[in-house]
Amino acid sequence: MKLNKFRKKSPWILHYNTGGCNGCDIEILASLAPKYDIERFGALNKGNPKQADILLVTGPVTKRCKDVLRRLYLQMPEPKVVVAMGACGHGGGVFRNFYHVENGVDNIIPVDVWIPGCAPRPEALIDGIVEAIEILQTKSKEKEYIRNHNEIIDKLGAKDD
Amino acid sequence: MGKITIPFGSQHVALPEPVSFLFDTQNEIISDVHVNLGYVHRGIEKAAITKFDYTNLAFLLTRVCGLCSITHASGYIHGLEYLLNAEISKRAEYLRMLVIELDRMHSHLLANGHVAEVVGYENLFMQTFRYREKVMEILERLTGNRVQFDYYTIGGVRRDIDLEDAKEIKKELLELKPKLEKLTEFFETDYTFGLKTKNIGKITKEMALEYGVVGPIARASGVKTDARAEYEYLPYNEIGYKLQTRKDGDVLARNLVRQDEILNSLEMCLNILDNLPEGEIKVKTKGRPKGEVFVRVEAPRGECFYYLKGNGSKIFERVRIRVPTYANLPILKDLFIGEKYSDAQAIVLSFDPCMSCTAR
Ligand code: SF4
Repeated sequence: MKLNKFRKKSPWILHYNTGGCNGCDIEILASLAPKYDIERFGALNKGNPKQADILLVTGPVTKRCKDVLRRLYLQMPEPKVVVAMGACGHGGGVFRNFYHVENGVDNIIPVDVWIPGCAPRPEALIDGIVEAIEILQTKSKEKEYIRNHNEIIDKLGAKDD
Repeated sequence: MGKITIPFGSQHVALPEPVSFLFDTQNEIISDVHVNLGYVHRGIEKAAITKFDYTNLAFLLTRVCGLCSITHASGYIHGLEYLLNAEISKRAEYLRMLVIELDRMHSHLLANGHVAEVVGYENLFMQTFRYREKVMEILERLTGNRVQFDYYTIGGVRRDIDLEDAKEIKKELLELKPKLEKLTEFFETDYTFGLKTKNIGKITKEMALEYGVVGPIARASGVKTDARAEYEYLPYNEIGYKLQTRKDGDVLARNLVRQDEILNSLEMCLNILDNLPEGEIKVKTKGRPKGEVFVRVEAPRGECFYYLKGNGSKIFERVRIRVPTYANLPILKDLFIGEKYSDAQAIVLSFDPCMSCTAR
Protein backbone atom coordinates (compact mmCIF):
# COMPACT_ATOMS: atom_id res chain seq x y z
CA MET A 1 0.00 0.00 0.00
CA LYS A 2 1.20 3.48 -0.79
CA LEU A 3 0.12 4.84 2.54
CA ASN A 4 2.32 2.41 4.37
CA LYS A 5 5.31 3.56 2.40
CA PHE A 6 4.71 7.16 3.34
CA ARG A 7 4.25 6.21 6.94
CA LYS A 8 7.58 4.51 6.92
CA LYS A 9 9.27 7.67 5.74
CA SER A 10 7.66 10.07 8.14
CA PRO A 11 6.84 8.67 11.53
CA TRP A 12 5.85 11.52 13.81
CA ILE A 13 6.59 11.22 17.46
CA LEU A 14 4.51 12.29 20.39
CA HIS A 15 6.57 12.48 23.52
CA TYR A 16 5.12 12.42 26.99
CA ASN A 17 6.90 12.28 30.31
CA THR A 18 4.86 10.48 32.90
CA GLY A 19 6.98 11.23 35.92
CA GLY A 20 10.51 10.20 35.08
CA CYS A 21 13.51 12.17 36.18
CA ASN A 22 13.72 13.94 32.78
CA GLY A 23 17.04 12.28 32.11
CA CYS A 24 15.35 10.39 29.31
CA ASP A 25 13.68 13.52 28.02
CA ILE A 26 16.92 15.37 27.58
CA GLU A 27 18.27 12.40 25.68
CA ILE A 28 15.29 12.74 23.36
CA LEU A 29 16.19 16.39 22.90
CA ALA A 30 19.78 15.40 22.27
CA SER A 31 18.74 12.98 19.58
CA LEU A 32 16.89 15.78 17.80
CA ALA A 33 20.12 17.76 17.75
CA PRO A 34 22.76 17.64 15.00
CA LYS A 35 24.90 14.82 16.30
CA TYR A 36 22.26 12.11 16.32
CA ASP A 37 19.67 13.84 14.18
CA ILE A 38 16.66 11.59 14.36
CA GLU A 39 15.13 13.56 11.50
CA ARG A 40 17.21 11.39 9.19
CA PHE A 41 14.46 8.82 9.59
CA GLY A 42 11.79 11.39 8.95
CA ALA A 43 10.87 11.43 12.59
CA LEU A 44 9.75 14.75 14.00
CA ASN A 45 8.73 15.53 17.54
CA LYS A 46 5.18 16.84 17.29
CA GLY A 47 2.99 17.92 20.14
CA ASN A 48 -0.28 16.86 18.66
CA PRO A 49 -1.56 13.35 19.39
CA LYS A 50 -3.89 13.46 16.41
CA GLN A 51 -0.97 13.72 14.02
CA ALA A 52 1.37 11.28 15.69
CA ASP A 53 2.30 7.70 14.81
CA ILE A 54 4.63 6.84 17.65
CA LEU A 55 3.92 7.53 21.29
CA LEU A 56 7.20 7.81 23.14
CA VAL A 57 6.61 7.48 26.87
CA THR A 58 9.19 8.02 29.58
CA GLY A 59 8.72 7.60 33.28
CA PRO A 60 7.00 5.22 35.66
CA VAL A 61 3.48 6.71 35.19
CA THR A 62 2.39 8.59 38.26
CA LYS A 63 -1.22 8.41 39.35
CA ARG A 64 -1.71 11.95 38.19
CA CYS A 65 -0.35 11.31 34.70
CA LYS A 66 -2.25 8.10 34.20
CA ASP A 67 -5.33 9.75 32.84
CA VAL A 68 -3.47 12.08 30.52
CA LEU A 69 -1.48 9.19 29.11
CA ARG A 70 -4.59 7.17 28.49
CA ARG A 71 -6.24 10.04 26.74
CA LEU A 72 -3.24 10.73 24.56
CA TYR A 73 -3.20 7.09 23.56
CA LEU A 74 -6.86 7.07 22.69
CA GLN A 75 -6.60 10.29 20.72
CA MET A 76 -3.92 8.95 18.44
CA PRO A 77 -5.24 7.50 15.18
CA GLU A 78 -4.61 3.88 14.22
CA PRO A 79 -2.14 2.48 13.41
CA LYS A 80 0.02 3.55 16.33
CA VAL A 81 3.03 2.23 18.15
CA VAL A 82 3.92 2.80 21.78
CA VAL A 83 7.55 2.99 22.79
CA ALA A 84 8.45 2.88 26.47
CA MET A 85 11.80 4.48 27.14
CA GLY A 86 13.99 4.02 30.17
CA ALA A 87 14.19 1.65 33.09
CA CYS A 88 11.48 3.40 35.02
CA GLY A 89 8.99 2.89 32.22
CA HIS A 90 9.62 -0.83 32.57
CA GLY A 91 7.87 -1.71 35.75
CA GLY A 92 8.84 1.38 37.66
CA GLY A 93 12.61 1.03 37.83
CA VAL A 94 14.00 2.79 40.85
CA PHE A 95 10.54 4.16 41.63
CA ARG A 96 8.87 0.75 41.85
CA ASN A 97 6.08 0.50 44.41
CA PHE A 98 6.21 4.13 45.48
CA TYR A 99 2.85 5.29 46.69
CA HIS A 100 2.13 7.56 43.74
CA VAL A 101 3.46 5.35 40.97
CA GLU A 102 1.72 2.86 38.69
CA ASN A 103 4.80 0.69 38.03
CA GLY A 104 5.39 1.06 34.36
CA VAL A 105 3.73 2.03 31.13
CA ASP A 106 2.23 -1.33 30.26
CA ASN A 107 0.00 -1.22 33.30
CA ILE A 108 -1.87 1.56 31.55
CA ILE A 109 -1.52 1.11 27.80
CA PRO A 110 -0.11 -1.69 25.60
CA VAL A 111 3.56 -1.26 24.74
CA ASP A 112 5.24 -2.42 21.51
CA VAL A 113 8.89 -1.47 21.94
CA TRP A 114 10.99 -1.29 25.08
CA ILE A 115 14.17 0.76 25.26
CA PRO A 116 16.29 -0.30 28.23
CA GLY A 117 18.74 1.84 30.16
CA CYS A 118 18.76 4.59 32.74
CA ALA A 119 19.04 6.80 30.83
CA PRO A 120 19.18 5.00 27.46
CA ARG A 121 21.78 6.37 25.08
CA PRO A 122 20.53 8.25 22.03
CA GLU A 123 21.75 5.34 19.91
CA ALA A 124 19.43 3.04 21.83
CA LEU A 125 16.61 5.49 21.32
CA ILE A 126 17.22 5.57 17.57
CA ASP A 127 17.29 1.78 17.55
CA GLY A 128 13.94 1.72 19.30
CA ILE A 129 12.42 4.21 16.90
CA VAL A 130 13.61 2.22 13.90
CA GLU A 131 12.06 -0.89 15.38
CA ALA A 132 8.88 1.03 16.01
CA ILE A 133 8.77 2.05 12.36
CA GLU A 134 8.97 -1.58 11.36
CA ILE A 135 6.15 -2.50 13.67
CA LEU A 136 4.13 0.43 12.38
CA GLN A 137 4.26 -1.05 8.89
CA THR A 138 2.83 -4.35 9.99
CA LYS A 139 -0.14 -2.60 11.52
CA SER A 140 -2.92 -1.08 9.52
CA LYS A 141 -6.09 0.79 10.18
CA GLU A 142 -8.25 -2.20 9.22
CA LYS A 143 -6.34 -4.67 11.32
CA GLU A 144 -6.26 -2.50 14.38
CA TYR A 145 -9.84 -1.36 14.08
CA ILE A 146 -11.29 -2.21 17.43
CA ARG A 147 -14.48 -4.16 17.17
CA ASN A 148 -15.05 -4.47 20.86
CA HIS A 149 -14.50 -0.78 21.27
CA ASN A 150 -16.70 -0.29 24.31
CA GLU A 151 -15.16 -3.18 26.13
CA ILE A 152 -11.66 -1.84 25.64
CA ILE A 153 -12.66 1.63 26.69
CA ASP A 154 -14.13 0.07 29.80
CA LYS A 155 -10.94 -1.82 30.44
CA LEU A 156 -8.88 1.29 30.11
CA GLY A 157 -11.26 2.93 32.50
CA ALA A 158 -11.72 5.86 30.21
CA LYS A 159 -15.48 5.93 29.94
CA ASP A 160 -15.93 9.57 30.87
CA ASP A 161 -12.99 10.98 28.94
CA MET B 1 -13.49 40.76 23.23
CA GLY B 2 -14.30 38.34 26.00
CA LYS B 3 -12.04 36.17 28.04
CA ILE B 4 -10.43 33.16 26.39
CA THR B 5 -8.77 30.41 28.37
CA ILE B 6 -5.80 28.75 26.72
CA PRO B 7 -4.20 25.64 28.18
CA PHE B 8 -0.42 25.27 27.96
CA GLY B 9 0.50 21.75 29.02
CA SER B 10 0.44 19.29 30.61
CA GLN B 11 1.51 17.79 27.31
CA HIS B 12 3.06 20.37 25.00
CA VAL B 13 5.77 20.23 22.41
CA ALA B 14 7.76 23.02 24.06
CA LEU B 15 7.70 21.32 27.43
CA PRO B 16 9.87 18.31 28.07
CA GLU B 17 8.02 17.73 31.30
CA PRO B 18 4.41 17.83 32.31
CA VAL B 19 3.24 21.00 33.99
CA SER B 20 0.05 22.74 33.18
CA PHE B 21 -0.59 26.46 32.86
CA LEU B 22 -4.08 27.75 32.18
CA PHE B 23 -3.89 31.24 30.77
CA ASP B 24 -6.89 33.54 30.82
CA THR B 25 -6.32 35.93 27.98
CA GLN B 26 -8.03 39.07 26.79
CA ASN B 27 -6.97 40.19 23.34
CA GLU B 28 -3.77 38.19 23.56
CA ILE B 29 -2.89 39.83 26.86
CA ILE B 30 -2.73 37.43 29.78
CA SER B 31 -5.06 38.47 32.55
CA ASP B 32 -4.77 35.50 34.87
CA VAL B 33 -2.93 32.22 35.12
CA HIS B 34 -3.48 28.97 36.99
CA VAL B 35 -0.53 26.70 37.49
CA ASN B 36 -0.78 23.00 38.16
CA LEU B 37 2.39 21.30 39.22
CA GLY B 38 2.04 17.88 40.68
CA TYR B 39 2.05 15.74 37.56
CA VAL B 40 5.38 14.11 38.25
CA HIS B 41 5.08 13.60 41.97
CA ARG B 42 6.43 10.15 42.78
CA GLY B 43 6.83 10.31 46.53
CA ILE B 44 10.61 10.30 46.69
CA GLU B 45 10.91 11.87 50.13
CA LYS B 46 8.67 9.22 51.61
CA ALA B 47 10.55 6.41 49.90
CA ALA B 48 13.83 7.88 51.12
CA ILE B 49 12.82 7.25 54.71
CA THR B 50 11.17 3.88 54.21
CA LYS B 51 12.72 1.91 51.37
CA PHE B 52 16.35 2.93 51.00
CA ASP B 53 19.17 2.74 53.50
CA TYR B 54 21.84 5.38 53.61
CA THR B 55 24.35 3.51 51.46
CA ASN B 56 22.13 3.36 48.40
CA LEU B 57 19.91 6.37 48.93
CA ALA B 58 22.12 8.37 46.57
CA PHE B 59 20.95 6.24 43.65
CA LEU B 60 17.40 7.27 44.31
CA LEU B 61 18.15 10.92 44.98
CA THR B 62 20.11 11.40 41.76
CA ARG B 63 16.97 10.31 40.00
CA VAL B 64 15.05 13.21 41.43
CA CYS B 65 16.22 15.06 38.37
CA GLY B 66 18.18 14.05 35.31
CA LEU B 67 19.60 17.45 34.49
CA CYS B 68 21.13 18.18 37.85
CA SER B 69 21.59 14.62 39.03
CA ILE B 70 25.03 15.43 40.37
CA THR B 71 23.63 18.27 42.48
CA HIS B 72 21.29 15.99 44.33
CA ALA B 73 24.05 13.50 44.88
CA SER B 74 26.28 16.25 46.22
CA GLY B 75 23.59 17.67 48.47
CA TYR B 76 22.96 14.30 50.03
CA ILE B 77 26.50 13.02 50.24
CA HIS B 78 28.00 16.21 51.65
CA GLY B 79 25.40 16.03 54.40
CA LEU B 80 26.02 12.37 55.03
CA GLU B 81 29.77 12.83 55.15
CA TYR B 82 29.33 15.56 57.71
CA LEU B 83 27.27 13.22 59.86
CA LEU B 84 29.86 10.46 59.50
CA ASN B 85 32.76 12.87 60.15
CA ALA B 86 34.48 11.80 56.96
CA GLU B 87 37.55 13.65 55.75
CA ILE B 88 37.56 13.79 51.94
CA SER B 89 40.77 13.85 49.96
CA LYS B 90 41.60 16.89 47.94
CA ARG B 91 41.70 14.97 44.70
CA ALA B 92 38.16 13.68 45.17
CA GLU B 93 36.97 17.20 45.90
CA TYR B 94 38.53 18.50 42.72
CA LEU B 95 37.07 15.71 40.64
CA ARG B 96 33.68 16.39 42.16
CA MET B 97 33.91 20.03 41.21
CA LEU B 98 34.96 19.07 37.71
CA VAL B 99 31.87 16.98 37.14
CA ILE B 100 29.57 19.49 38.82
CA GLU B 101 30.82 22.28 36.59
CA LEU B 102 30.57 20.18 33.43
CA ASP B 103 27.06 19.28 34.44
CA ARG B 104 26.27 22.96 34.90
CA MET B 105 27.59 23.67 31.44
CA HIS B 106 25.42 21.12 29.72
CA SER B 107 22.38 22.09 31.70
CA HIS B 108 22.79 25.78 30.91
CA LEU B 109 23.41 25.08 27.25
CA LEU B 110 20.24 23.05 27.14
CA ALA B 111 18.27 25.86 28.73
CA ASN B 112 19.65 28.49 26.40
CA GLY B 113 19.06 26.36 23.37
CA HIS B 114 15.54 25.72 24.48
CA VAL B 115 14.79 29.42 24.80
CA ALA B 116 16.13 29.91 21.29
CA GLU B 117 13.84 27.17 20.05
CA VAL B 118 10.65 28.54 21.53
CA VAL B 119 11.24 32.02 20.21
CA GLY B 120 11.42 30.37 16.82
CA TYR B 121 15.15 30.40 16.23
CA GLU B 122 15.68 26.78 15.30
CA ASN B 123 19.19 27.33 13.99
CA LEU B 124 20.50 28.73 17.22
CA PHE B 125 18.91 25.82 19.06
CA MET B 126 20.73 23.36 16.87
CA GLN B 127 24.01 25.21 17.23
CA THR B 128 23.74 25.31 21.01
CA PHE B 129 22.96 21.63 21.11
CA ARG B 130 25.88 20.83 18.90
CA TYR B 131 28.21 22.38 21.47
CA ARG B 132 26.34 20.79 24.32
CA GLU B 133 27.01 17.41 22.78
CA LYS B 134 30.74 18.06 23.18
CA VAL B 135 30.25 18.57 26.90
CA MET B 136 28.25 15.37 27.07
CA GLU B 137 31.07 13.50 25.41
CA ILE B 138 33.51 14.78 27.99
CA LEU B 139 31.15 13.79 30.78
CA GLU B 140 30.79 10.33 29.35
CA ARG B 141 34.53 9.93 29.10
CA LEU B 142 34.89 11.03 32.68
CA THR B 143 32.03 9.17 34.36
CA GLY B 144 30.94 6.42 32.00
CA ASN B 145 27.41 7.62 31.46
CA ARG B 146 25.72 10.48 29.73
CA VAL B 147 22.97 11.52 32.07
CA GLN B 148 22.79 9.60 35.31
CA PHE B 149 26.44 9.48 36.31
CA ASP B 150 26.24 8.26 39.90
CA TYR B 151 29.73 9.67 40.15
CA TYR B 152 29.53 10.62 43.79
CA THR B 153 30.03 7.93 46.31
CA ILE B 154 30.29 8.09 50.08
CA GLY B 155 33.84 9.17 50.85
CA GLY B 156 34.89 10.20 47.37
CA VAL B 157 34.19 9.57 43.73
CA ARG B 158 33.70 6.38 41.81
CA ARG B 159 36.22 6.78 39.03
CA ASP B 160 39.65 8.27 38.73
CA ILE B 161 40.88 10.23 35.76
CA ASP B 162 44.10 9.19 34.06
CA LEU B 163 46.64 11.43 32.39
CA GLU B 164 45.58 10.65 28.89
CA ASP B 165 41.95 11.44 29.60
CA ALA B 166 42.90 14.66 31.32
CA LYS B 167 44.91 15.73 28.32
CA GLU B 168 42.17 14.85 25.90
CA ILE B 169 39.49 16.60 27.94
CA LYS B 170 41.62 19.67 28.21
CA LYS B 171 42.11 19.74 24.49
CA GLU B 172 38.40 19.44 23.86
CA LEU B 173 37.59 22.16 26.34
CA LEU B 174 40.09 24.50 24.74
CA GLU B 175 38.52 23.81 21.38
CA LEU B 176 35.10 24.47 22.79
CA LYS B 177 35.98 27.78 24.38
CA PRO B 178 36.06 30.05 21.32
CA LYS B 179 32.84 28.46 20.08
CA LEU B 180 31.07 29.21 23.33
CA GLU B 181 32.37 32.75 23.32
CA LYS B 182 30.96 33.16 19.86
CA LEU B 183 27.66 31.76 21.03
CA THR B 184 27.56 34.32 23.83
CA GLU B 185 28.19 37.07 21.32
CA PHE B 186 25.42 35.69 19.19
CA PHE B 187 22.90 35.70 21.99
CA GLU B 188 23.95 39.18 22.97
CA THR B 189 23.94 40.90 19.60
CA ASP B 190 21.55 38.97 17.42
CA TYR B 191 18.76 41.25 16.30
CA THR B 192 16.06 38.64 15.73
CA PHE B 193 16.72 36.91 19.00
CA GLY B 194 16.65 40.26 20.78
CA LEU B 195 13.23 41.12 19.41
CA LYS B 196 11.62 38.26 21.24
CA THR B 197 13.66 38.40 24.42
CA LYS B 198 14.59 42.00 25.27
CA ASN B 199 12.34 43.57 27.89
CA ILE B 200 10.19 40.47 28.06
CA GLY B 201 9.38 39.05 31.46
CA LYS B 202 11.34 41.71 33.31
CA ILE B 203 12.22 41.12 36.97
CA THR B 204 13.57 44.12 38.83
CA LYS B 205 16.03 43.72 41.64
CA GLU B 206 13.39 44.65 44.23
CA MET B 207 10.99 42.10 42.86
CA ALA B 208 13.67 39.43 42.88
CA LEU B 209 14.49 40.15 46.51
CA GLU B 210 10.87 40.29 47.55
CA TYR B 211 10.01 36.95 45.98
CA GLY B 212 13.28 35.36 47.02
CA VAL B 213 14.20 33.99 43.64
CA VAL B 214 17.46 32.09 43.39
CA GLY B 215 20.06 31.08 40.88
CA PRO B 216 20.59 32.57 37.44
CA ILE B 217 17.17 34.20 37.57
CA ALA B 218 18.19 36.25 40.60
CA ARG B 219 21.64 36.93 39.23
CA ALA B 220 20.17 38.18 35.97
CA SER B 221 18.42 40.87 38.01
CA GLY B 222 21.60 41.91 39.76
CA VAL B 223 21.12 40.03 43.03
CA LYS B 224 24.42 38.66 44.25
CA THR B 225 23.49 35.22 45.45
CA ASP B 226 25.23 31.93 44.85
CA ALA B 227 25.58 29.02 47.21
CA ARG B 228 29.02 28.33 45.81
CA ALA B 229 30.21 31.62 47.26
CA GLU B 230 28.09 31.71 50.39
CA TYR B 231 28.50 28.20 51.64
CA GLU B 232 31.81 26.39 51.57
CA TYR B 233 30.98 22.88 50.55
CA LEU B 234 33.76 22.57 47.99
CA PRO B 235 36.88 24.71 47.61
CA TYR B 236 35.53 26.90 44.85
CA ASN B 237 37.73 29.86 45.74
CA GLU B 238 40.83 27.89 44.75
CA ILE B 239 39.82 27.33 41.16
CA GLY B 240 38.86 30.76 39.98
CA TYR B 241 35.17 30.95 40.69
CA LYS B 242 33.58 34.32 39.89
CA LEU B 243 30.06 35.40 40.62
CA GLN B 244 28.26 36.46 37.45
CA THR B 245 25.51 39.03 37.40
CA ARG B 246 23.57 41.02 34.83
CA LYS B 247 21.28 43.95 35.43
CA ASP B 248 18.36 43.82 33.04
CA GLY B 249 16.42 40.90 34.45
CA ASP B 250 14.64 40.03 31.21
CA VAL B 251 14.66 36.82 29.22
CA LEU B 252 17.79 37.88 27.39
CA ALA B 253 19.66 38.72 30.59
CA ARG B 254 18.83 35.33 32.01
CA ASN B 255 20.25 33.68 28.94
CA LEU B 256 23.35 35.81 29.11
CA VAL B 257 23.97 35.13 32.78
CA ARG B 258 23.83 31.45 32.00
CA GLN B 259 26.17 31.97 29.11
CA ASP B 260 28.63 33.85 31.37
CA GLU B 261 28.45 31.05 33.88
CA ILE B 262 29.20 28.50 31.22
CA LEU B 263 32.37 30.34 30.34
CA ASN B 264 33.31 30.66 33.99
CA SER B 265 32.67 26.95 34.51
CA LEU B 266 34.84 26.15 31.55
CA GLU B 267 37.61 28.27 33.01
CA MET B 268 37.25 26.43 36.32
CA CYS B 269 37.38 23.04 34.61
CA LEU B 270 40.62 23.99 32.92
CA ASN B 271 42.05 25.15 36.23
CA ILE B 272 41.04 21.90 37.89
CA LEU B 273 42.68 19.84 35.19
CA ASP B 274 45.87 21.87 35.49
CA ASN B 275 46.09 21.69 39.27
CA LEU B 276 44.70 18.27 40.04
CA PRO B 277 46.18 17.19 43.38
CA GLU B 278 47.54 13.70 43.87
CA GLY B 279 45.99 11.30 46.33
CA GLU B 280 43.27 8.78 46.94
CA ILE B 281 39.89 9.23 45.29
CA LYS B 282 37.98 7.48 48.00
CA VAL B 283 38.26 7.13 51.75
CA LYS B 284 36.58 4.57 53.94
CA THR B 285 33.86 5.80 56.25
CA LYS B 286 32.67 4.31 59.48
CA GLY B 287 29.48 4.38 61.47
CA ARG B 288 25.92 5.29 60.76
CA PRO B 289 24.40 8.72 60.32
CA LYS B 290 23.27 10.27 63.57
CA GLY B 291 22.16 13.85 64.09
CA GLU B 292 20.87 16.61 61.91
CA VAL B 293 22.48 18.56 59.11
CA PHE B 294 21.46 20.95 56.40
CA VAL B 295 23.34 21.49 53.18
CA ARG B 296 23.08 24.17 50.55
CA VAL B 297 24.51 23.42 47.15
CA GLU B 298 24.29 25.38 43.94
CA ALA B 299 22.36 23.51 41.30
CA PRO B 300 22.38 24.82 37.73
CA ARG B 301 19.04 26.42 38.50
CA GLY B 302 19.94 27.91 41.84
CA GLU B 303 20.30 26.97 45.41
CA CYS B 304 19.29 23.45 46.38
CA PHE B 305 18.69 22.75 50.03
CA TYR B 306 18.99 19.42 51.77
CA TYR B 307 18.01 18.58 55.30
CA LEU B 308 18.93 15.18 56.72
CA LYS B 309 18.08 13.71 60.07
CA GLY B 310 19.50 10.38 61.10
CA ASN B 311 18.97 8.45 64.32
CA GLY B 312 21.83 6.00 64.19
CA SER B 313 19.95 3.37 62.25
CA LYS B 314 20.38 2.49 58.60
CA ILE B 315 17.44 4.48 57.42
CA PHE B 316 17.14 8.25 57.76
CA GLU B 317 14.40 9.72 59.85
CA ARG B 318 13.80 12.65 57.54
CA VAL B 319 15.11 13.72 54.17
CA ARG B 320 13.90 17.11 53.05
CA ILE B 321 14.72 18.54 49.65
CA ARG B 322 13.98 22.09 48.62
CA VAL B 323 14.80 22.65 45.00
CA PRO B 324 15.53 25.91 43.18
CA THR B 325 12.61 25.78 40.77
CA TYR B 326 10.26 25.68 43.71
CA ALA B 327 11.60 29.02 44.90
CA ASN B 328 11.39 30.51 41.43
CA LEU B 329 7.81 29.62 40.62
CA PRO B 330 5.76 32.15 42.63
CA ILE B 331 7.15 35.10 40.71
CA LEU B 332 6.01 33.56 37.41
CA LYS B 333 2.41 34.47 38.03
CA ASP B 334 3.30 38.10 38.53
CA LEU B 335 5.38 38.10 35.40
CA PHE B 336 2.74 36.61 33.18
CA ILE B 337 -0.03 39.04 33.94
CA GLY B 338 0.08 41.81 31.39
CA GLU B 339 2.36 40.00 28.95
CA LYS B 340 1.34 38.74 25.53
CA TYR B 341 0.41 35.09 25.28
CA SER B 342 2.94 34.62 22.50
CA ASP B 343 5.73 35.46 24.95
CA ALA B 344 4.57 33.05 27.62
CA GLN B 345 6.63 30.14 26.35
CA ALA B 346 9.83 32.13 26.31
CA ILE B 347 9.22 33.36 29.84
CA VAL B 348 8.54 29.89 31.18
CA LEU B 349 11.56 28.38 29.52
CA SER B 350 13.89 31.23 30.45
CA PHE B 351 13.27 30.09 34.02
CA ASP B 352 14.56 26.71 32.99
CA PRO B 353 11.91 25.04 35.12
CA CYS B 354 12.57 21.54 36.35
CA MET B 355 9.34 19.88 37.28
CA SER B 356 10.70 16.52 38.29
CA CYS B 357 12.70 18.37 40.94
CA THR B 358 9.79 20.48 42.05
CA ALA B 359 7.17 17.80 42.38
CA ARG B 360 9.59 14.99 43.23
S1 SF4 C 1 14.86 5.66 33.17
FE1 SF4 C 1 16.32 6.67 34.54
S2 SF4 C 1 16.98 8.47 33.39
FE2 SF4 C 1 15.10 7.76 32.41
S3 SF4 C 1 13.47 8.94 33.39
FE3 SF4 C 1 13.67 7.01 34.52
S4 SF4 C 1 15.03 7.46 36.22
FE4 SF4 C 1 15.29 9.09 34.70
